[in-house]
Amino acid sequence: MKKWQVAVIVLLATLGSWVGLATQAHAAKYTIATDTTFAPFEFQVKGGKYKGIDIDLLQAIAKKEHFTYQLKALSFNAAVQQLSANQVDGVIAGMNITSARKATFDFSKPYYSSGVVMAVTKDSSVKNFKQLKGKTVALKTGTAGATFGKSIQAKYGFKIKYFNDSNTMYNDVKVGNSVACFEDYPVMSYGIKNGIPLKIVSKQHEAGDYGFAVKKGKNAALLKKFNAGLAAIKADGTYQKILNRYLHAKESSITGETASSRTFFGLFSQNLNTLGKGLWMTMELTIISIILATILGLILGVLGVMPGKLGPAISSTLIYIFRGMPLMVLAFFIYIGIPDLIGHGFKIPAFIAGMITLMLNEGAYTGAFVKGGFQAVDAGQMEAARSLGLPYWKAMRKVVMPQGIRIMIPSFINQFIITLKDTSILSVIGIVELTQTGTLIIARNFEGFKIWLMIAIIYLIIITLLTWLSNWVQRRIN
Amino acid sequence: MSDHTVKVRVTDLHKSYGDTEVLKGLNLEVQDNEVVCMIGPSGSGKSTFLRCLTDLEMPTKGQVIINDHDLSDAKTNLNLVRENIGMVFQHFNLFPHLTVLQNITLAPIQLKKMTPSEAEASARELLAQVGLADKADVKPNSLSGGQQQRVAIARALAMHPKIMLFDEPTSALDPEMVGDVLGVMKQLAQDGMTMIVVTHEMGFAKEVADRVVFMADGLIQESGTPAHIFEHPQNPRLQDFLQKVINV
Ligand SMILES: Nc1ncnc2c1ncn2[C@@H]1O[C@H](COP(=O)(O)OP(=O)(O)O)[C@@H](O)[C@H]1O
Ligand SMILES: [Mg+2]
Repeated sequence: MKKWQVAVIVLLATLGSWVGLATQAHAAKYTIATDTTFAPFEFQVKGGKYKGIDIDLLQAIAKKEHFTYQLKALSFNAAVQQLSANQVDGVIAGMNITSARKATFDFSKPYYSSGVVMAVTKDSSVKNFKQLKGKTVALKTGTAGATFGKSIQAKYGFKIKYFNDSNTMYNDVKVGNSVACFEDYPVMSYGIKNGIPLKIVSKQHEAGDYGFAVKKGKNAALLKKFNAGLAAIKADGTYQKILNRYLHAKESSITGETASSRTFFGLFSQNLNTLGKGLWMTMELTIISIILATILGLILGVLGVMPGKLGPAISSTLIYIFRGMPLMVLAFFIYIGIPDLIGHGFKIPAFIAGMITLMLNEGAYTGAFVKGGFQAVDAGQMEAARSLGLPYWKAMRKVVMPQGIRIMIPSFINQFIITLKDTSILSVIGIVELTQTGTLIIARNFEGFKIWLMIAIIYLIIITLLTWLSNWVQRRIN
Repeated sequence: MSDHTVKVRVTDLHKSYGDTEVLKGLNLEVQDNEVVCMIGPSGSGKSTFLRCLTDLEMPTKGQVIINDHDLSDAKTNLNLVRENIGMVFQHFNLFPHLTVLQNITLAPIQLKKMTPSEAEASARELLAQVGLADKADVKPNSLSGGQQQRVAIARALAMHPKIMLFDEPTSALDPEMVGDVLGVMKQLAQDGMTMIVVTHEMGFAKEVADRVVFMADGLIQESGTPAHIFEHPQNPRLQDFLQKVINV
C-alpha cells in the first residue's frame, strides 16, 4: 500500500469515529441549548462544566421528571436560531417571554421574573437616560435589555452598539467606548458582586418573565414535563435553594477560585485543563481541515488546468463561491441553513459542520494557488511529456505536478497558518476551541487582559511550531 | 497502407488560429531513412507544421498519415503514435525535477513496462552515445545548453522512435555548443533514422539532408536536393532568404 493510501484510510477512520461519537451523543433524549455567558443563570466553571440557575433548575426538573438531555452551550443568538431550525429541542437561557417570540416558540410557565437596569462605570456621572444623548449604549443582541434600549433610543437620542455576549458588552463600557449598557437586574448585580467594575444607576424597567422555550407545536411532552417539574421543585423547596445558591453567594464560593490565584501563572495553572481541551479541539480541527482542504484544493487546481471547458468552469465557480463567502456565513449556512432546508430533524454535529466549512473555504483558496502553481509550470514541460507518449494524467502526475507543487510550498505553509487562525471563527457555531475557551473563562473571572494574552501566546507558539515543521518539510523536499 | 517506404504523408494541411491562417495547404511526403531539412524565415509556420505531425496542434483541415497512422481518424491512439515519434525542442524542455538518467528512463518505465534496471542500462548506453556518460546523476540545470540538448535527444531515442522531429535544436545554443549537437544528429542520420529537421544551419542541411524544403507564408515554396536548393534556387523568396542567411 502506498503512503497516500494509508493517509486516506487513517483520515476516513478518524472521520468515521467522529460521526460515531456524534451519533452516540444523540442517545440523550433531548438536546437543550443554553447561553455561554449569562451568570448567574449560566456560566462555565473550572474544568469546563456549566453551572447557574438555569442549569441547576433544568437538572432538578429532569431528575424529577425522569428525562435525560444533552446540554449545548451556544451564544444566545445561535441558541435561538438553532431552536427555530429544529437543531435543538429546547432553550433555557434566561429568555424573556415576549409576544414576538410566542409566534415561533412555545414557552413554559415563567420560572423567574426580572427587569432591565442601566449600568455605567463606577466613576461615571451618567445617572439618567437623558444624559445618554449623542452617546453610545452597549446592548446584547436578543435580550430584554436590547429590546428596552431600542424602544427608548428615539426618545433619548443615543447610538447603539450590539454585542453577542455579556462580557464583551461590559468591557466596552469599562474601557469607555460605550457610556452605558442595559442588562437584566439579577445578571448585572451578580456580575458587579463578582468584580465587574460597573454600577447600577436605574430602577428596574419593563419587568419580564423568563421561560423555557421549545419550537412552536413541537416537543409538547417536554414542555409539559418542564412545567410539572418546575411546580414540583417549587413545592419541595429545591427551587428556592437554587436561587439562594446563586443570588446570595459570591461566585468564588461556586467556582472555588481564590484571589491569590488571579496572577497570570495562577490563572494559567488553574485553567490548564480547560485551555488544553480548547487547544486540542483547535489542533484537531486544524489538522483534519488542512488535510481535507489540501485534497479539495488539489482537485480544484487540477480541474482548473484540465484541457476543455468543463473542468476549468467547475473549478473557477467553486473557487469563486467558497472564496467569496465569509467564513462565518458559510459556517452558519452549513450548520443552521442546510438542516433547516432538509428538515426531518436532520442535524449536523457542530464539529463536522466546522470541518466542512474550513474544508470548503480553505480548499477554495488552496485550489486557486494550486491552479496558479500548475499554470506557472512551463507549457513546454507538458508538451515534452506528451511527445514522449505519456497520456495526459500521467504527464500531469509525473512531470507537471511535482514541479508545480514545489512552487506552491510557501503558499501551502501560509494556508496552514491561516487555517489554524480561522478555526477561531468556528466558535460562532458553538465549537469550544481555543478562542471560545478564552471567552468562557473570561465570562466567569473577567480577567480579559491576562486570559487573552495567554491565548495569544498559545496561538503564537503553535504557529511557530507549525512554521518550523513546514520549513523542515520544505527542506526535505528540495 | 501497402507502401511501407513512406513514413510521413501530409496532404493539403491547413491550420488557423482564429482568423489567421498559418498553414495554407501543405503537401509533403517523407520516405523511410530520409533526412528532410526545413528552412524558411521565422513565422512561416515551420514549428506549427512539426506540431501538427504529433497532434500537439490539431489541423484545421487536411490529412496527416505518420507511421501508417491517420491522425484525423478518431480511432487512432495518439499516445501510441507519439511513442514512435521523437521530438526535440528548441528549448530542450528537460524535466528539471528529475536527474538526467530519470529524464531518459521516465517514458520507457511508464510506457514500455521496462523494469527500472533495464531502462537504466539502455539509458546509460544512450548517454554514452551522445557523449555524456558521466552526467547520468546530475540535474539538467547544471548542464550547458549543448549538453542539455544532447540529453533531450537521448530522451527521445529511448522510446526507439521510427521518426525524429527536430525544431531548431541548435538555435538556443552558444555557437561553441552547436557542433556537438549537430554531430550527434549527423550520426543518427548515418544510422538510418528518418528525420525532419527545422534548422538555420545551412552547412548541416547541405551535408546531411537528402532533401531540403523551403517554407514561407505557410506553404512549401520550393523543395529539392541540397545542391538544387543551395546552388540553383528558383523561387525569388528563396533566393532572397539564402542571401540574408549567408550574409549573416
Ligand atoms: N498558439 C498560437 N496562437 C496564435 N498564433 C500562433 C500560435 N502559434 C503560432 N502562431 C503564429 O503562427 C505563425 C507561425 O508560427 P511558427 O509555426 O512558430 O513559425 P516558425 O516556426 O516558422 O517561426 C506565427 O505568426 C505565429 O505568431
Ligand atoms: Mg519555430
